[in-house]
Amino acid sequence: MSAIELSGVTKRFGDVTAVNDLDLTVEEGEVFGFLGPNGAGKSTTINMILDFVRPTAGEVRVLDRDAQAESVAIRRRIGVLPEGFSVYERLTGRQHVEFAIESKELDVDPDPVLDRVGLLDDADRKAGGYSKGMAQRLALAMALVGEPELLILDEPSSGLDPAGAKEMREIVREEADRGATVFFSSHVLGQVEAVCDRVGILRAGELVAEDSIEGLRETVGSGETLRVSVDGASEEDLAAVRALEGVRGAATDGTTVTVDCESGAKTAVIGALEDAGVTVTDFTTTEASLEDLFLAYTEGAAPGDNGTGEHDSPAAGEVAE
Amino acid sequence: MSLEAVARKDFRDAVRSRWVLVLSALFVVLFAGPALFRFTLGIGLGEGAEATGIALLFIQLMKEGTAVLVPIIAIVVGYASITRERESGTLKLLLSLPHSRADVVVGKVLGRSAVIALPIAVGFLAAGLVLIPASSGFALASFLAFGFLTMLLGVVFVGLAVGISAAARSDREAMVGSVGAFVLFQVFWGTATSRIAGGLQEYAGLTAQNRYLVELGAKLLNPIAAYKTLADSLVFESQMQARQQLFGFFLFPDPAAQEALGQELPVVFTDPFVAALMVLWFVVPVYVGMVLFERADL
Repeated sequence: MSAIELSGVTKRFGDVTAVNDLDLTVEEGEVFGFLGPNGAGKSTTINMILDFVRPTAGEVRVLDRDAQAESVAIRRRIGVLPEGFSVYERLTGRQHVEFAIESKELDVDPDPVLDRVGLLDDADRKAGGYSKGMAQRLALAMALVGEPELLILDEPSSGLDPAGAKEMREIVREEADRGATVFFSSHVLGQVEAVCDRVGILRAGELVAEDSIEGLRETVGSGETLRVSVDGASEEDLAAVRALEGVRGAATDGTTVTVDCESGAKTAVIGALEDAGVTVTDFTTTEASLEDLFLAYTEGAAPGDNGTGEHDSPAAGEVAE
Repeated sequence: MSLEAVARKDFRDAVRSRWVLVLSALFVVLFAGPALFRFTLGIGLGEGAEATGIALLFIQLMKEGTAVLVPIIAIVVGYASITRERESGTLKLLLSLPHSRADVVVGKVLGRSAVIALPIAVGFLAAGLVLIPASSGFALASFLAFGFLTMLLGVVFVGLAVGISAAARSDREAMVGSVGAFVLFQVFWGTATSRIAGGLQEYAGLTAQNRYLVELGAKLLNPIAAYKTLADSLVFESQMQARQQLFGFFLFPDPAAQEALGQELPVVFTDPFVAALMVLWFVVPVYVGMVLFERADL
């Protein structure tokens, strides 16, 4: 049984297509990162999974039930951190969690989940006075109530500081270790890389990649970026380099040649440059990062075309909304 | 139960916001105030028949005030019940939990109904305490019935307002819808029905009796008029007399209507039917609102 299954799902708002013919399967027990830039259709997809909006075409199934017809039964078994929510201003943090417990028809103590998200000390304050990050923690606490089989977290790290985002990742890990399936969206790869078994990348309403982190790494290549400092290199000098096996791309700005290649091809690249009469003064290599791939997918260029890109950018840190 | 959880949370929220307290105080002052005023002036309520007469007059006069005030308060209490949650995003938190949209609508209706019904009950209780010592059993029974009727009016308008709120996409839309309905009932309905019935008599050759029967039927479709005439049924000797209060001005019935309608009231215009019509104004908007809310993309 798969935890979430979308087949041929399309959602149009008027003449805007938010999600186009999407097929997506999240297996039971995995942590699935749903990636994409803002406006790619991630929240629309999640809203269809939660039955907040209805697909124009296609079918959505959650825990082997119809997302629309059996939405209440589904929500009894899942925990949700929605996007764009707000808390009840007059209720305290604890009352929120108590309401979640009551709604799920359980009889448990609210304190352990409040403690897990770090809100226990503020549990008796009215949630109207909470910061964005605290509201986010509170909604997570509500989602965690009753050890749900599936957690759906829409941009869980938004509003959290780096420490908070780290705690969020730890909780995701713990939940996965408990056996829960976790499906969460993010527009920042850095939050996802460390915890996800698999990721799907959505762009303009379409899934452009769906793979494990390892698989994605392979797509990026065992690849490296080679930066070669030279006395002077022209486009013609690069022809021989481009012809080499294992080289995906090469570029030059005159004094630096940047080559995207497999790690085994380094020596051949240097050799080819020297054969072309270019004097090599120095070279460095950088391992290609997933971030590059993510940017390549989401910013328009197809993977593999990023041979001349800057490859030394660290994975982006946590971005607060 | 999900419905209960939503209703209870909603009502508690109203208690926390002091709505219930403020409304209770308001209704106590409003209902018990006039009676208390007589006492403070040293007039008292008198004895026996006089006290009973005062209690009945009290109903007759007070309904004019409650017929305006209670719907307005019910609309204020209910109009944003769904749209505000939708606009602020608390609805997403609510619907992330296992509540159906129907449960949300019905839960709101129950919660907000309590918000208006409870203060009305408190107000009537206070007024009752003032009136009880002097009045006859008949007056007290009428007074009690008037209390329930007023609660019903409040609940009907809460249902109407919550139904509109469920169907609306924004607070603004909900406000326009609810206030529009109130203005329609309060201001235009009466005039419109007499014009139409008068026109039918003049141009379609309706007999005077039929004209007034049509007009009566049309007037009774208005929940505010239904409330007033049901209250009059508690005061007047016959239901026909109560219905005739719908014609004419304040306490002075229209003689033409009186003559045309005679003494025989068709069964469809008797109290149970009028009450049922009133309840329809609760049931239909709640149901329609629920259906539209079920279909909506949030």
